[in-house]
Amino acid sequence: MAEWFQWLEQTPWSVAIAESIWLFPILEGSHILALPLSVGMIVIFDLHLLGLTLVGSRARTVMTEMLRWSKIGFAVMFITGGLLLMCHAGRAYGNPFFRFKMLFLLVLGINAAVYQIVFFPKMPEWAGRVPAGAKFCAVLSLIVWIGVIVCGRTMAYQF
Amino acid sequence: MQIIVWIRDSQYGMPIAQSVHLVGLTLLLGTVLVLNLRLANVALKDSSLHWLAQQLRPWMLGGLAVVLLSGALIFIGTPAKYLASNPFRVKMAALVLAMLFQYGALRRFAAPGSAPGSRAVSLVVAALSLTLWFTVGWAGRAIAFIP
Repeated sequence: MAEWFQWLEQTPWSVAIAESIWLFPILEGSHILALPLSVGMIVIFDLHLLGLTLVGSRARTVMTEMLRWSKIGFAVMFITGGLLLMCHAGRAYGNPFFRFKMLFLLVLGINAAVYQIVFFPKMPEWAGRVPAGAKFCAVLSLIVWIGVIVCGRTMAYQF
Repeated sequence: MQIIVWIRDSQYGMPIAQSVHLVGLTLLLGTVLVLNLRLANVALKDSSLHWLAQQLRPWMLGGLAVVLLSGALIFIGTPAKYLASNPFRVKMAALVLAMLFQYGALRRFAAPGSAPGSRAVSLVVAALSLTLWFTVGWAGRAIAFIP
């Protein structure tokens, strides 16, 4: 695995991006400024599940509307994030903040899958009362997303 | 004022301050984005802009407070560096314009019972607002790359 990350960092594409005066800052800026579109929309849905905003709206509607936009944001995140990782793969591999960021993203993926399987099908029956389990998913999501942002920003200081 | 020195000089001071700045940005621009998407009539069409603005205002202002406070703490550690930076000047100018424009636009379009104006005007206002806010973000990022 470590060798593979080392190799990735040295491919001609990776070197070209890392050495480009404009491309690297643009990728980094796009990665950061896709935050409101990707994570921001999730945060608003999480806050809604906790009864802290859009009070009285149907959770199902809020979810559909927010996810539609956040998917675009996450597409930008994965593409720019993947390209940024390519440039720094060798150094990122052993970096604790990079590893925690990936671990946190895995936790968030599992959290979203659990929500989708356990709570999503029953949303039409909620009638305004959000089950405690769904609220737990929302709290977990809010906390772990903050962790992703902190790890992502901090690892950039270590390359 | 130990916190200013800690942010400037310690190993994790600046990364943590910047992280807090980004969490605030996510909250501020996330809510701004939803309001402008609603104004452009492409999201949450079942809810009125007036009601959405009311519901999201505490989070928008909360995000703004986090961004302004963390930004001020980052700035005050090395003010000369930022005052000499062209992107920083652009960022501050865009920030003032974005806040004024957002305030004015919301007051005009999110007033209680305000009739939906022409679609073209709503689209232009939403696009202008988002352009201003994202100029703030891009100029902020450019501080690290452009003198």
